[in-house]
Amino acid sequence: MIFGLLVLHIAVCLLLAYAGRRLGRGSLLVGAVPPALSALWGAARLGASPPATADLTWVRGLDLAMTFRVDAFAAVMTLIVSGIGVLIFVYAFGYFGPGTAHTGRFATTLLAFSTSMLGLVWADSVWTLFVFWELTSVTSFLLVGHKSTDTEVLAAARRALMVTAGGGLVLLAGLLLVTGAADTTLISELAPVDGTAATVGAVLVMIAAATKSAQVPFHPWLPGAMVAPTPVSAYLHAATMVKAGVVLVAVAGPALSGISAWKGCGLAFGVASIVWGGLGALRHRDAKLILAWGTVSQLGMLITLFSVGTPAAVLAAVSLLVAHALFKGALFLIVGEIDVRAGTRHIDELGGLARSMPVAFAAAVLAGLSMAGAPPLLGFVAKETAIKAALELTGPEAWVVGLGVIGGSVLTVAYTFRFLVAVFGPGPETPLSPRRHALSVPPAVLAVGGIAAFAVLGWVDAVLEPAAVRLSGGAEVEHLHRWPGLEPALAISAVVLVIGAIVGLALGGRPGQAPADHAGRWTDASIDGIVAFGRATVARVQHGSLPVYLVTMAAVATLAATPFLADISLDHLVGWHTPLQGVLAAAAVGAAVALCWVDTRLGAGLALGAAGITVAAVFVIHGAPDLALTQLLVEAAIVVGFVLAFGHLSRSFPMTGLRWRAVRITVAGLGGVAVVIGLGAASGNPVGAPPVAELAAASVGEGGGSNIVNVILTDIRGLDTLGEVLVLATVALGVQALARATVGTESSAS
Amino acid sequence: MNTALLLAIGGLTAVGLYLLTSRSLSRIVLGYSLLGHATVVALITAGGRAGWPPIAGRAAPEDMSNPLPQALTLTAIVISFGLTLFLLALARRQRTLSGDDLVEDDLEDRRIAAVESAPTEPEDSVAT
Repeated sequence: MIFGLLVLHIAVCLLLAYAGRRLGRGSLLVGAVPPALSALWGAARLGASPPATADLTWVRGLDLAMTFRVDAFAAVMTLIVSGIGVLIFVYAFGYFGPGTAHTGRFATTLLAFSTSMLGLVWADSVWTLFVFWELTSVTSFLLVGHKSTDTEVLAAARRALMVTAGGGLVLLAGLLLVTGAADTTLISELAPVDGTAATVGAVLVMIAAATKSAQVPFHPWLPGAMVAPTPVSAYLHAATMVKAGVVLVAVAGPALSGISAWKGCGLAFGVASIVWGGLGALRHRDAKLILAWGTVSQLGMLITLFSVGTPAAVLAAVSLLVAHALFKGALFLIVGEIDVRAGTRHIDELGGLARSMPVAFAAAVLAGLSMAGAPPLLGFVAKETAIKAALELTGPEAWVVGLGVIGGSVLTVAYTFRFLVAVFGPGPETPLSPRRHALSVPPAVLAVGGIAAFAVLGWVDAVLEPAAVRLSGGAEVEHLHRWPGLEPALAISAVVLVIGAIVGLALGGRPGQAPADHAGRWTDASIDGIVAFGRATVARVQHGSLPVYLVTMAAVATLAATPFLADISLDHLVGWHTPLQGVLAAAAVGAAVALCWVDTRLGAGLALGAAGITVAAVFVIHGAPDLALTQLLVEAAIVVGFVLAFGHLSRSFPMTGLRWRAVRITVAGLGGVAVVIGLGAASGNPVGAPPVAELAAASVGEGGGSNIVNVILTDIRGLDTLGEVLVLATVALGVQALARATVGTESSAS
Repeated sequence: MNTALLLAIGGLTAVGLYLLTSRSLSRIVLGYSLLGHATVVALITAGGRAGWPPIAGRAAPEDMSNPLPQALTLTAIVISFGLTLFLLALARRQRTLSGDDLVEDDLEDRRIAAVESAPTEPEDSVAT
């Protein structure tokens, strides 16, 4: 079923890539079909055990396999990814008016993203996870840069790609270290690890998660990515892709939470993002940016809770994950509808929308209250559980997490109220274009989801509890409560709501300036630096001189041989088997050196012949008459060919600079030494006597010939020899074609 | 392993590499040929000691040289012969077209290097 769904996604993707132009806007509806099916499948698997698995082994010995495992948590994520995916496709159908260009391309990329995200949440092998992780980065880049003619859009897309793909590299390094320490590549089999390598790996994995989930200081790509079409912002940058980092922290948590650096890093990223994101959301004046900064803050909350890793914190994180996908998705879609119908999303230019857009207003209030954590909504349950989990901690951790969660909650309530007042509050009525149902229904569905989940909290708990059990390593997990009782957590919640509401309402109508995007400029400046460094490197190493390329390659290969120096064993080296070999060796090298000194082409050709004949003599001494014969024939042909090809040229070779020649001599000499080292090291490891007797018997008995070498060539590996003949025939054709073309050019020129 | 032949292999490789990094196509062909020699000698040297020709019935199997690397070497000689001839044909054509046998710089690479090191608006100039 898992592979079936993936193949269906890919097939529809290909279909849209092929027919997207003809289908136009309709391709968005076609694209909604595969997510709809996988959402149904995910819903059927909610809370189910045992998990569904599928794998496809590629290279058995290397542990290279596509491995998927859909457990209770992955089923919840499937429902989020595909369920919201369907709504996004429908919404995009309304968002792009009839006749909008490139909707086919948009649908294809959006479905490709949806597929990658599904693969990511289903992956069990860390390498499968890594591949899909990178695919989400790439498809996100394409979706952010959908309006590819705008330079601001291109800069934002580049920023998103560089930060998330750079994080992907960090992830690869971290996974190598962690899987090396844990001795498995399956996430489901990861046992708690420790040690230096595992610690470094865990920190790298956490950094990768922070880049993907836009944690401070990697956050500037997320507000920047708000130049994307709203369906993309709602889907990728609120509900799914930015959750990839959170998902990674969640699934790696049981194995890595014992490492204190993992927890420390996670809390630092998380709490910093809660505070900085919340402040950003209070200061910006573009409704979409307010939501984006709020997402940074909420993601910080999720990273914090998953890093804490106690069963209560994990349960809170899982319920917040679901609640956030519902309310933030809804709010983004509402802002998109306002953007389309009012032509602006700047809060200073919006007014009176509560009356003119009643459905959107109702949905925004529902979603906003869920975000603020007010009853009776899913966000309230999540926030109560989070505060309770923070109160259960002890030591310094309790202070950091407690202040982070409670302070973050105040900020969240404040920016929610400010958002609602500023966008829908009083003011001169903004003129609107007519209503489109495809735009108003999806956010309403998501917003109602928050209250519906509260109403059927027993069922939600039955679904989320197994997921939390899975993510806290099988520990006992408490249940979600609709009404927590008169506890400290409830009192704190009430105070948070009151303070936050006062701050938010006070800030709501105030005029002001959006803060300057310093962090974004720094990010872009560092990316510019990386790109400039890349350009300078390319200009230096890709200079176009073929001899320098060759010298570089030879030098690198020589360096690679140095480790074998230690493996040379003098016991296996003999001077020579007959003294004549020494003489011939000296003669061969002598002929070769002479070949460099001779400065006419004819003389060089003759010296080459001399070297070849010496090699033939080496074969004779070695006991290889067939080789000697072949070598003599070949050498004669090459010398003749050489004279034919170069005989007419000016007689002496061109001079080259002394310094360059010194470099060439050095590298060439070292290259020769490297070959000697490699061969000498290889001879120190003999594998036994050659099977001459067996080959002799086989050659007479089966091959019907007494010359063993000939029987090997024509019988034992006759097919190879046939291939060799084909190579020679091809060469002959090529040589003939080149020679003929030459003649033709000459005759036409004369 | 036979040290004399080992040193010969090293010497042939060194001279071959030196010639291969030259700008003159005729010297590149010479260098390529010498590298081919070094390789075939390396193959039979790695195959074991010298001995009688491996012809069944003429000598006892334990006195024979190893036939397997010889078969591989024969293939190597023939293939490098084919490639050398092809190189020679290319060189001859180059001579006809340019009147010389010098390897020019890769113009495409040079253009990229020039563009990449230019400080202003690189994206646009790459696109054009």
